[in-house]
Amino acid sequence: MKLADAFWGVRCTWLRYFDVFRKSLAYYLVTTFSEPFLYLLAFGFGVGGLIGTVHSNGHEIAYRSFVFSGILGQTVLFQGFYEASYGGFVRMYYQKIFQAMAVTPITLAEVLWGELLWDASKATFAAVIIAAIGAALGDFPFYAPLVVIPVAFPSSLLFAGLGLAVAARARTIEEISYPQYLLVFPMFLFCGVFFPIEQLPQPLQWVAWVLPLTAVNSLMRTLTLGFPFEWWSAPILAAWLLALVAYSRRAMFRRLVK
Amino acid sequence: MAGAAPLRVVHLTKRYRTRDGGAFEAVSDVSFDVGAGECFGLLGPNGAGKSSAIHCISGFYPASAGRVLIEGFDVHAEPKRARQALGVCSQEETLDSDFRVFDQLVRHASFFRVPAAEGARRARALLGRFGIADKADHLVESLSGGMKRRLQVARALVSAPRVLVLDEPTTGLDPGMRRSLWEILVEERAKGAAILLSTHYMEEAERLCDRIALLDHGRIVDLGSPQALVERHMGAATVEEEVRPGVLWRRPPNLEDVYLRLTGARLAQAEAQ
Repeated sequence: MKLADAFWGVRCTWLRYFDVFRKSLAYYLVTTFSEPFLYLLAFGFGVGGLIGTVHSNGHEIAYRSFVFSGILGQTVLFQGFYEASYGGFVRMYYQKIFQAMAVTPITLAEVLWGELLWDASKATFAAVIIAAIGAALGDFPFYAPLVVIPVAFPSSLLFAGLGLAVAARARTIEEISYPQYLLVFPMFLFCGVFFPIEQLPQPLQWVAWVLPLTAVNSLMRTLTLGFPFEWWSAPILAAWLLALVAYSRRAMFRRLVK
Repeated sequence: MAGAAPLRVVHLTKRYRTRDGGAFEAVSDVSFDVGAGECFGLLGPNGAGKSSAIHCISGFYPASAGRVLIEGFDVHAEPKRARQALGVCSQEETLDSDFRVFDQLVRHASFFRVPAAEGARRARALLGRFGIADKADHLVESLSGGMKRRLQVARALVSAPRVLVLDEPTTGLDPGMRRSLWEILVEERAKGAAILLSTHYMEEAERLCDRIALLDHGRIVDLGSPQALVERHMGAATVEEEVRPGVLWRRPPNLEDVYLRLTGARLAQAEAQ
């Protein structure tokens, strides 16, 4: 009964977000998809036309396909992180939605699970659409939109955890820029979205592998491009996921509950 | 639990950790009951512990000691069952600006498992009662401060709560709106709701509250009906007050005199510092 009650509370929260999304569909579609589309056009077709093919992990592959798969990782990173960090901060600090919901029969623990799961759902949805476009253009197999989900969802949850933790620790909305510039952008640039990390000096490759986006990109390329499975990606992803989700919830509780 | 007060606050204590590793006791061993159809006032200067007490009573902050029972359910041990009967209007604006006025009430009702059709019926009735029916399709951001405040009180009522906790609900309302809200609170009390009202307006407390607890430094310094408090601390003597240099007013004592007498030392201390 308690589990069913908790599920109901999480579901109520998730539905609240879904309703907001549904009511502002045009806004969300533009803000969710314009960025990955622009990257696809600029790097996939523009730079891809100049480079032709790349060698990575023993494969020679069209640069456009390589970037397409990287954009999947970039999508879960940006969508998960930004929705939870900036969006979460606005909901917590300005709108005080968490506080208003958590004095109803929905508990704060359920509100925070609803927040994280919604952020992850939205980012996963975006990744599925990108994968569908990749499949339609022939870069990915036709089943790619379905097979990316088992990696896209936990990855999105991981980056939502990072975002919510940042929101919980930030004193002002401007402070979210620190992890954005010092962690999210370096991941975006050096974790294998635009080029194989084998291009980096060995010490930087180790650093890249410590960061979660490298593991996400590796798994995405296994699923969409048939790259060899780098087994260590899974425990790296799982460790980051568990750590960040647990920490984000703890940090938000400490921020809100005195 | 037949006959038990819908809201029972039992030896409630709330301590915060300070940055130097110590502890600050914001609420100290506070106890009171609010019966069905009773309006209970919580008065005190800023920093007296009212908001901390209200956060603990709503179950948002854990209590350091003591219990809060809503309809017999401990708000911390069984928050879902306890808060099913609770409506809260907090001091801060917590309206969900992602929803339009009407949708906001229906959505909030759903958090109490009120079916959508019933939520919509209640929302329409409340918007009419609070004089903002014509704003049903407006975004919250387009409302004036007074309208937002009324909407927040309306939202607290949409679940038809047995216990209503209102933290300075009339702040920012003009006198006409304030009186309209008083009438609504009187109606809710008549329907049997137990109302806990925190306010800085003495006139409001005197008019609405059956009993009042005066809080200072986290402790209840006295508790009783407004009349009893005035008689106990001021007697029947006329109060003389110099309202302007050379202009002396003589009037019967009121709750504000009691408030200042019981908490005035603190104000004087603050001024001296």
